[in-house]
Amino acid sequence: MIQVRQVSYRYDGGKAPALKNVTMEIREGEHVALIGPNGCGKTTLIKHFNALLAPGEGSVEVDGMDTRDRKSRGEIRRRVGMVFQNPDNQIVGVTVEEDVAFGPSNLGLPPAAIRERVDEALALVGMESFAQRAPHTLSGGEKRLVSIAGILAMDPRYIALDEPAAYLDPSSRDRVLAMIERLHRRGIAIIHITHDMNDLAGADRLLVMDRGAILLDGTPRDVFGRVEAMKDLGLHVPQVTLLMRRLRESGLDLKTDILTVDEACREIAKRIGSNGNGALSGSGPGGGA
Amino acid sequence: METGLFPVPVRGGARKMPGPGQWIAGESIVQRMDPRVKIASTVALSLFTFRAGWADACLISLLLLAVMRAARLEFARMLRVVRPLAWFAGLFFLLHLFFTDGTALWSLPALHIRITREGLFQGALVAWQFAALVLCGAVLSMTTTPSDLIGGLEKLMSPLKHLKVPTQELAVMAAMALRFVPAMRDEFDRIQTAQAARGADLEGGDLWGRAKAALSVAIPLMISAFRRADELAEAMEARGYHRGPRTALRELRLDGKDFAAMGFMMIFTAVLAISRLFVQP
Repeated sequence: MIQVRQVSYRYDGGKAPALKNVTMEIREGEHVALIGPNGCGKTTLIKHFNALLAPGEGSVEVDGMDTRDRKSRGEIRRRVGMVFQNPDNQIVGVTVEEDVAFGPSNLGLPPAAIRERVDEALALVGMESFAQRAPHTLSGGEKRLVSIAGILAMDPRYIALDEPAAYLDPSSRDRVLAMIERLHRRGIAIIHITHDMNDLAGADRLLVMDRGAILLDGTPRDVFGRVEAMKDLGLHVPQVTLLMRRLRESGLDLKTDILTVDEACREIAKRIGSNGNGALSGSGPGGGA
Repeated sequence: METGLFPVPVRGGARKMPGPGQWIAGESIVQRMDPRVKIASTVALSLFTFRAGWADACLISLLLLAVMRAARLEFARMLRVVRPLAWFAGLFFLLHLFFTDGTALWSLPALHIRITREGLFQGALVAWQFAALVLCGAVLSMTTTPSDLIGGLEKLMSPLKHLKVPTQELAVMAAMALRFVPAMRDEFDRIQTAQAARGADLEGGDLWGRAKAALSVAIPLMISAFRRADELAEAMEARGYHRGPRTALRELRLDGKDFAAMGFMMIFTAVLAISRLFVQP
């Protein structure tokens, strides 16, 4: 478990604190999505998880180890992997396999064990045929997968990803998101920073941050139910959720805590099925979205 | 011949053919040899080349040809490596040709020009030295992956650790430099395009204009390099990088062919030494 207790943090020369009295925890195997406007402290928060930043006030503990304790830093960084926003600046190897080997090399593993981990990690992200390629010849999505493999080779328990799907074309994006979901199913806790509300379908929990504080914390359904709060923050609610809300406002008895088009279809079909066609005949022009 | 070794890119980033002197994927005996043996042999051969007389030159040329053959490096490819330096070699050849004292072969007393036998030989030898040195280096860099080169150098320099030279850190630095050279080149292109898109005239103009244009690309490039370095340092730290001992993916181990190569180099050295005794006065 990662426990963040009353953490405040201020960058050198920063006027406003980047984090204000944040208390939260990440449980093992959880899939947490972290959203919020730019500059709200999301990245600052996840940098506290693996001791890249030490809290100014308060404390951060990873599986009981304090991140300010220098001796446990190595182990904390092994347990909490971090995938940064720009894959170009975190791939350090001359070839893909050497990059994946960077972490295990730092752990001081013998070459045979490193080889095993590298092969396993590359197979897990489906990049084994790229092992000998130079990083700059890869596409954006491939670079993302390589940087994830580099983290997986450390055998982490938690992985924090900073906008892993940003700047990707739709098919690469799906590939990366499916990868994240697969890691989650293997029991690795995922902390996923995103701006795209459509990336959230797999998350168990949603944290909304603004100006260095956590405003909302709950299941995605809970949080998106609070459309007004979200709007105040300038965050979008998924379009289907808005559609369902409008339909409800126009007098239909529909659930509004719906996040995907499939769910919406099912919900509407259910209404049609139970009440006959009459239930939807009153919707009028209100449903045109 | 070795197309199977080039993974087919899924999309984008088509794999470029290696440029002259760059590593070529392959499985020949020279390619599989331990980088330490290759580096040491290259250094030895370069030293011999510097001090070579005619007999040595013939022997070294034979050896180079044999190694190129064993490494399956085609002649045409090697020619492309040497060609850019042909100008220098030619210049040195001419200098020696015209400015060496000795028995005149041809002269034009009115212009104080004369060509001597010694000059001809000396010039040819210098031009050969040039070509041989370049080929030595090219064979090494074309048959050894950059990471093996770094790994081999690190191992060869490891005795310097006792003198407090941080050889491992140096190796990591060298690897980083290799990794980011292509990235910086892409960045350079991007900045140039961005500046051109905003109306900067990067091509024409007088000397002052050109200098300003160069600056308008160099400064953003430098800033981006610093930012990159910051992020890179953070990413390395996040992946557990620390000063001090670390291990490597590839373990360098000498086997039969490496010992054979070392033995061969020793015999070659002996032959050169003996030939020197007998052939040259």
